[in-house]
Amino acid sequence: MQAKLEARNISHSYTSNRNVAEVLRDLNFHADENEFISFVGPSGCGKSTLFNIIAGLLTPTGGEVRIQGETSTGKPHPSLGYVLQKDLLLPWRTIMDNVILGLEVRGVDRKTAVERARPLFEDYNLKGRENDYPSALSGGMRQRAALMRTLVMDPEILLMDEAYKALDYPLKIALESELLETVRRLRKTVIFVTHDIEEAVTLSDRVYVMKARPGQIIKEIKVDLGVESTDVQDRRMAPAFNHYYQLIWKSIAQQSLPAKNRKVA
Amino acid sequence: MSAQSQTSQGDVEARRTSSSLAGMSPARETLLVWGLQAVILAACLILWEVAARQGWISTFLFASPSRIFDVLTRQFASGQLFNDVKVTTMETVLGFIVGGVGGSIIGLALWYSPLVARLTRPFIAAVGSIPVLAVAPLIIIWFGTDITSKVVIVAFSCVVVSLMSSYSGAQQVDQDEINLMRSFGATRNQIFLKVVVPSSMTWVISGLKLNIGFALIGAIVGEYISSESGVGHSILVGSANFAIDTVLAGLLVVMILVTCFNAIVRVLERWILPWKYA
Repeated sequence: MQAKLEARNISHSYTSNRNVAEVLRDLNFHADENEFISFVGPSGCGKSTLFNIIAGLLTPTGGEVRIQGETSTGKPHPSLGYVLQKDLLLPWRTIMDNVILGLEVRGVDRKTAVERARPLFEDYNLKGRENDYPSALSGGMRQRAALMRTLVMDPEILLMDEAYKALDYPLKIALESELLETVRRLRKTVIFVTHDIEEAVTLSDRVYVMKARPGQIIKEIKVDLGVESTDVQDRRMAPAFNHYYQLIWKSIAQQSLPAKNRKVA
Repeated sequence: MSAQSQTSQGDVEARRTSSSLAGMSPARETLLVWGLQAVILAACLILWEVAARQGWISTFLFASPSRIFDVLTRQFASGQLFNDVKVTTMETVLGFIVGGVGGSIIGLALWYSPLVARLTRPFIAAVGSIPVLAVAPLIIIWFGTDITSKVVIVAFSCVVVSLMSSYSGAQQVDQDEINLMRSFGATRNQIFLKVVVPSSMTWVISGLKLNIGFALIGAIVGEYISSESGVGHSILVGSANFAIDTVLAGLLVVMILVTCFNAIVRVLERWILPWKYA
């Protein structure tokens, strides 16, 4: 079966004056249909650069990204949508107008766009807030609205960068559970970039562990918690959780801690 | 040294308590402040009037509130007041629209081309450094003595401030918001209209607010140099005849005009930036 997204030998360097900084070296990875994959690694492993390359906002200095078999041309691919930690809701637009922004850009008339967005307001408990400005919403509601803005475009691949980092723990769990339920129901492919191992283990089918300077993939781990529930707290409590957590932690720790602090059994 | 630090300590305390006068609600505090301001104004006017009538100050040099009021009623009755205000307002508003709004549009449009923005920067700065008083005679020579030349002078006094302000606004646009638009496949025009323009609006408005004052300065300066009517004309004629009451009446009218224009722009701001006041 063809991968939804496939990256071959991705490398990237930034050149400034006479200095060349190598950020990513020879990354190979793929994401299949209905699969949730994560990239986890310490800071400095080039996650943001990787995100921009997958999103099509940045052309890598080496290698290529293929989305559904097509080589990415350095332009954002229409079947890919992304969510960032910053919700990027435009403060001068109401929540409804923010959610339908992408449809508006693609030339869908307002009435049709609103019709398509309305069920999402029910699904994500934002009914009645359509005409509020983003400043009137809590952080969790704003992040939900940002996800709705992406989902209303019906992308096949969701790309997410530390989307829930700024939220408090219970809210984070709630939003992650919602996300997992949504992407399974809609059979979306998700590429999740994070430095939170716990988040990576509870959400993912597969995790790529990265090391820093330059960013490289050092391990690929298939995660099977043996839990069907999409409730992230249930998944967190699964007996297998610790095993995967340890596995990922060890590979990260080996790379990033000074030798004397390594306590790897 | 220690005494000084004690006073500053005392100041801080005083400020802390004055911010909520005896637990008064903000609305009542505002009313109180307005009331006191009215009392101060009235006291000054009364003192001025009494001093003029008692001969403590020369009415020839300082006029008096009642004389100023007389001048205004006379000008009102003859229709001169209405005509002067109309002419000056026309010049100011038209010049403000051409210079302020036009400058804002140019400033925003420079977002499209960083190269053009860089090329034109020193020239814009050079034009902006010319005092309006220095260039006004030239504009009168080029555009004649009627209203057109005043509109041009007003526009000249507004254009650079608005241009600079809106250009800075357009430069501050969040790159992530632009990337988001790109991810939706937006064209440059869509990015400009849906993100750059609205997110720069706070800057555009603050440029326009600054320009209210500059616009009126421009109109008055233009009228000083050559005019048949307008508030500036009235002030000029008054001072030429040593009619201090006429001059002061003109200044009062200018102050009222600025207040009105400020109020209009504030209403405009609430209308353009509803999300700031939601």
